[in-house]
Amino acid sequence: MMMTAFDISASALVAQRVRMDTISSNLANMSSMQRDANGEMKPYDARYVIFQTDDRISTPYGATGVKVAAVQTENVEPLYRWQPNHPYAIKEGPKKGYVAYPKVNMNAEFVDALVATRAYEANVGAMEITKSMSQQTLRILG
Amino acid sequence: MTAITSLPNLSATPLTGGVRPQASAEAQKPFKDFMLEALNEVNTMQQDADKAVQQLVTGGDVNAAEVLTTLQKADMSFKLMMQIRNKLVQAYQEVNNIRI
Amino acid sequence: MLPNLFGSTNIPVLQEVLQFSQARHAVLVGNLANVNTPGYRTRDLSVENFQARLKEAIEASHRSGGTSQSPGVLTTDPQDPLREVRSTMTTLLYHDDTNIDLEKQVAEITKNQYMHNLALTVMTNQIQLLESAISERV
Repeated sequence: MMMTAFDISASALVAQRVRMDTISSNLANMSSMQRDANGEMKPYDARYVIFQTDDRISTPYGATGVKVAAVQTENVEPLYRWQPNHPYAIKEGPKKGYVAYPKVNMNAEFVDALVATRAYEANVGAMEITKSMSQQTLRILG
Repeated sequence: MTAITSLPNLSATPLTGGVRPQASAEAQKPFKDFMLEALNEVNTMQQDADKAVQQLVTGGDVNAAEVLTTLQKADMSFKLMMQIRNKLVQAYQEVNNIRI
Repeated sequence: MLPNLFGSTNIPVLQEVLQFSQARHAVLVGNLANVNTPGYRTRDLSVENFQARLKEAIEASHRSGGTSQSPGVLTTDPQDPLREVRSTMTTLLYHDDTNIDLEKQVAEITKNQYMHNLALTVMTNQIQLLESAISERV
């Protein structure tokens, strides 16, 4: 029975690590461009994770694990900078001469990273407590 | 004067003394049955503990703490029975060593 | 007489559990060591398989009147259920690549350690009980 608690904590650790991965990716690509489906360069879209309860790891009493349901991209207006000589400047339209940069909110990403770190530590602590509880159970037999 | 009137009460006891050995003979039989029953109970507890451990090890729906508690209870009752048996054997040997 | 001294207890069963958990520990630790190897698929020993075969072996020994073979003896009978239990310790289970998570491997190692310590504690307790019965000392 105690075994499911390990699986639940492990699923939480995996989910928080995926979240940390997306945050790192967002921070690293704050100023990058990527190629979209048409082959044109467009600014990097910030990604965020969606968590969901995982019914595969559950106990009959209602405890469930967590899984990453999807990694979705944000649709925000990019940041425009006036750089007419840039190779990726927009050629025509109202934004001619501007270059589109990704709009990643650095402070929000840092706060998310802190939350993910605390959640990771909390789950590691929960796993340690489960381990200690199972070891204590063995002391019944002295 | 009250000491003399209490004498009839004292003389009543030797009369019932003859009835007593029979009563103790009747009381001895249930003791043997009691011992056998207790032995069977200890045996059943040990077997239940064995079955519980087997269920735990083959992935059954039992709680590890419950199985360990069952094991410990079976151990306690076995040790108690062991002590009782040791005392009985010791008493028997003492009775055997009585020089007539 | 001496091999059957343990035949009616759980000690052979618990011994099998100990061996299985030690074999599984080696496999899982190998996964941890190979976390950066390209093209590596995580391996495991199936616990459900082992427990099912163990259950069959226990029931078979009950049917044959409790005369179970001592695990140290090599079994030559192909129908012997203990042989099936041994084979679960050597057949590896390969996971698909989506499961190579370090945390999951660590969780499996911890659960395996718990199973091993549980079997060890119960086996020690059973041996002490036998010892107390033989020496007549509580």
